[in-house]
Amino acid sequence: MLDRNLVGDVLAETLRFGGDYGEFFLEDRYSTRLGLVGGKVETGISGREYGVGIRVFAGYNSVYAYTNQVTRENLLTVARDAAQALNNQNSSDTVRFRHGEFENQHPIRIYPESKDQRYRVELMRTAYHEAKTYNELIEQVRIRFMDEDQKVLIANTDGDFVEDRRVRTRMAIEAIAAKGSEKQSGFYGPGAHMGLEFYDRIDISDYAREAARIAVTMIQADQCPSGRFPVIIDNEFGGVIFHEACGHGLEASSVAKKTSVFADKLGEQIASPLVTAWDDGTIVNAWGSQNVDDEGTPTQRTLLIDKGILRGYMVDKLNGRRMNMHSTGSGRRQSYKFAPTSRMSNTFIDAGESTPEQIIANTEYGLYARYMGGGSVNPATGEFNFAVNEGYMVRNGKIAEPVRGATLIGRGAEVLKQIDMVGNNLALGQGMCGAASGSIPANVGQPMLRVSEMTVGGRKGKGDRHEA
Amino acid sequence: MKLDEFKNKTFAMAKDKGFDAVELYNQSANQVQIKVFQGQVDDFARADTGGYSFRGLFNGRMGYAFTEILDGEAVSMVVEDAKANALIIDETEQSPIFGGSEKYPQYDGYSPELAAVSTEDQIDFTRELEAKALAADKRVKTVSNCAFVYGESKTGLVNSRRLELSQKGNGCYCWLSVVVVDQGETRSAFKFKSERDFAALDANALAEEAVGEAIGQLGANSVASGAYPVILRNQAAASLLAAFAGIFSAENVHKNFSLLKGKLGRQIANSQITIIDDPLLPDGLYSTPFDAEGVAARRKAIVNDGTLETYLHNLKSAARDKVESTGNAVKHSYKSEVSVAPTNLFFQNGGAGFDQLVQTLDSGLIITELQGTHAGTNPVSGDFSLAANGYLVNKGEIVSPVDQITVAGNFLEMFHNVEAVGNDLDFGLPGGSMIGSPSLLINGLAIAGK
Repeated sequence: MLDRNLVGDVLAETLRFGGDYGEFFLEDRYSTRLGLVGGKVETGISGREYGVGIRVFAGYNSVYAYTNQVTRENLLTVARDAAQALNNQNSSDTVRFRHGEFENQHPIRIYPESKDQRYRVELMRTAYHEAKTYNELIEQVRIRFMDEDQKVLIANTDGDFVEDRRVRTRMAIEAIAAKGSEKQSGFYGPGAHMGLEFYDRIDISDYAREAARIAVTMIQADQCPSGRFPVIIDNEFGGVIFHEACGHGLEASSVAKKTSVFADKLGEQIASPLVTAWDDGTIVNAWGSQNVDDEGTPTQRTLLIDKGILRGYMVDKLNGRRMNMHSTGSGRRQSYKFAPTSRMSNTFIDAGESTPEQIIANTEYGLYARYMGGGSVNPATGEFNFAVNEGYMVRNGKIAEPVRGATLIGRGAEVLKQIDMVGNNLALGQGMCGAASGSIPANVGQPMLRVSEMTVGGRKGKGDRHEA
Repeated sequence: MKLDEFKNKTFAMAKDKGFDAVELYNQSANQVQIKVFQGQVDDFARADTGGYSFRGLFNGRMGYAFTEILDGEAVSMVVEDAKANALIIDETEQSPIFGGSEKYPQYDGYSPELAAVSTEDQIDFTRELEAKALAADKRVKTVSNCAFVYGESKTGLVNSRRLELSQKGNGCYCWLSVVVVDQGETRSAFKFKSERDFAALDANALAEEAVGEAIGQLGANSVASGAYPVILRNQAAASLLAAFAGIFSAENVHKNFSLLKGKLGRQIANSQITIIDDPLLPDGLYSTPFDAEGVAARRKAIVNDGTLETYLHNLKSAARDKVESTGNAVKHSYKSEVSVAPTNLFFQNGGAGFDQLVQTLDSGLIITELQGTHAGTNPVSGDFSLAANGYLVNKGEIVSPVDQITVAGNFLEMFHNVEAVGNDLDFGLPGGSMIGSPSLLINGLAIAGK
C-alpha cells in the first residue's frame, strides 16, 4: 500500500527524535451504507477514508498523531513532532522489517466492490417485506445495510510489517409494532467478517421475522415488575452482560492502571466454578475476528476465566509494558483516527451442561430475558446496567406472560459469582462496542444462564414471589 | 489537488453525467488531546484531518459520496458513486440544492485568544487538574482519566446554485474521572466542562466537584422499591433529554418514529416547561450561523410554556409540512447524509434554586446520574428504565447516598409531572448536539431497589 522504505524512514524518525518504539498504521477503507424506511430506499452513501496514524512510545508514555495528508514530507514531520513531544533522549534509528507473511484465516468470496447497489437493495427489500407482513400490528420497518473493505498496513520499529484486508457486512432490521398510541420495537442485526456471501449462508428473512415477532410480542406485554429475583438470560446477544459487566474490566486499559475491580486477581476465584470464558479473535469469519490486531500482532484465543478462576487479561502493547505482559493480539481501533488500546474481539462464556429446558424448569419465579439490548458499565466499581428487549416472567418452572421495560442492574464481580446454572446452547451475537479507541465490531456470546438474584427495574410495582 | 480544482472538476463531470444540481461540503479539523496520569503526560494526540462530501440530484433523487483523499480517482469516484447511489433511491421528495437564505446571522465561533494558548499551558492545566483532584481528599486513590482537548474546525459548503458559505470555530473541553476508596469500598465520579475561554476553566472547582461527588457516594445503599418524588439534577435531566432528542425531529414524525406525531400545537408538558434549540448560543460547541443545507440558523422555542410549537426541520421535512425549515439540517460528518437534529438544545431555566427544589421535594430522591441511556430508553415509546445514583432526602435534608436503583417512567408522562424547574442550567457531554437542562422536580417516578 505504501513503499517499505518510506515507512521505514518515518519509523526511524520516531526513534531518532526520542521514541523507544514507533508504530505506523495506514488505512484505506471503502464503505457503503444504505437505508430503507417504510419500503422506500431513502439514503445511499459510499466513500473512501484514507489516513495514517503514527504512535510513539517512551517508557509508559505515548504520543499519537494522525493525518490524511499522506505525503513523504508531511509523514516525516508528523513523526518527528510526535517523537519530540515525548521529551526523551534516544539515539537509535535503525528499523529492519521482517517478512510479515501470514495465512489469511478469514476467506472472502464476494468482495463488496463486485456487486452493484441493486443487489443490496434486493436484500433489504426481502427483509422489509418479511418483517412488514409478519403481523398487522407491524406499523413501520427500518433497514440499514452496511459493508466495508478496509485495507491496512501496520509496521513498527520491532520490525513487523504486515498488510491485511478486512471485509465486513451487516444488516440491521428494526420493526416497530403499534397499538393505539403505544409503540414497541424489535431489533436484529446479523453481521460477519465476511463478504456478501454472508447473505447466501443465512436466510435474512428469518432475522426479519424474528425482529417483527419481538416487536409484536412486546406491544402486547405488560410492564415488568421490579425487585430482586432470579434472572435467566438466554444465549447469543445475552452475552452482552458478560461483555459489559466483566469483559471491560479484563481489558488491560483498565487493569494496567489498577482502576479495574479485577486488577491483581490472576489465579483467584472471581466467578462461579460453572463459568469459563474466552476472548477469541481467531474464529473464522466471525464479526469480531481479524488476522492481526491493529498493532500488527496475530489475534489469539485467550482464556480469561477457567472454572471461575481468573487466568488472563486482554492486553495491548502499551498497557503490556505497564503490566509486564505480552500482547494478546487485543490492540484495536475504530480507524486511523484513534490510537489502539486493549479491546474485546469475540468474547463469550463457554457452554455448560444444563439444557435450556432444565434451567427454566428449575426456576420457580423469575425473569427470563430472551433478548438483551445494550448496556454500560463503570469500570471502577463494576456497576452495570442492561436493557431487556424481550422478557417473560417465569412461574413454577414455566415461561409465563411477556413483560416490557425491564432493566437489569448489578455489580459485575457479584453477578459472576451468582451464576448458578449454565446451559449447553452457546451462540454469539453481533454488536458495536464503544470505548477509548472508538466504536468497533465485537461479538458477545454465552449459552443460556441463570443468575440466582439480580435487581430488576421496571415500571410496575414490586414483584410478588408468591403470586400463583 | 486543491479544493478549488476538485470542485471545478467534480461539478463539470457531474454536469456531463446528467446531474441537475450538485454540492460539495467539506470539513477539516485540527485537534490536540492531552491525557495526564500520575503527573506525566501519558497520552498525547495531535490530529489533522478532513474530508469532502459530494451530493447531487439525479432524476430528482439525491445521491451521496465522500472521500478523504483527493487523488486522481477521487473526482470520478465521488461522481460515479453518487450517481449509483441516487439511482436506487425510491424517495421522490427531496431537499433541493439550496440557493441561500436572504440573510445570515452574525456568529463568530472562533476565539484567537483560545487559539493562542500554548501546548505547555494546556499541559500545565491538565496536570493541575489531576493534582488538585489527588490533593482534594486522602481517600482519592487515583484519577483514572484526566484529559484536555483543544480543537479547531472549518466547514465549507459550495453548490451549483452559487451558494458559497464557510465558517470556522474552536473550543476546548476537559474531563476527569476520580476513584475514591474508603475501607475497601470504591466509588467514582466524572466531571466534564467545555469552554471557549481557557481562563474560565477552573481546575480546582472541577476537581473538588468530582471528588465531592465520589466521596458523597461512599456508603451508598439501595432504597425500597416504590414511587418517589424525584429531583433529576441538571446533568441527569440533560442526559435524559439527550436520549429523547430525536422525538422533536420532523423526519422521525413523518416516519412514525416519534411519539410527538399529531401533537403539534398541543399542551404536551406542564406549563413551566420551555425547550429551546439555539444554534447561535454563545460558546455552544455546535453553534453555527448556517445549517448543513446552507439555511440560515435561528433560535426557536420547540416547547413554549408546555405547548409543542414546532418540530425541527430541514428543507425536505419542511416542504412536506408546508412550513419553513427551522435550519436544523445536520450532517454528523462528511461521511453522513443530511438529516435533522438539534444544535444546542435545552430546557429553559425556571426560577427555583437547587436548595429551594430540595425544600420543595421535602422527602424523596435526588438523582445525580443516569446510566446506560443509550440502551435503557425507548425513543419510540418514550419509556425509560435506567440505573441511577443519587441521594435520599428526608424533610428537606440530604440524609444518605443511594446506588443500585433503577428509575423508570415515560418521557412524555414525565413532562406533565414536572412540579418545579431549577435555575441551574448545565450542559452534558456533547454527542453531535449539546444538550442541557436545569434540575427538574418530578412527581412520582418508579424506583426499583431492594
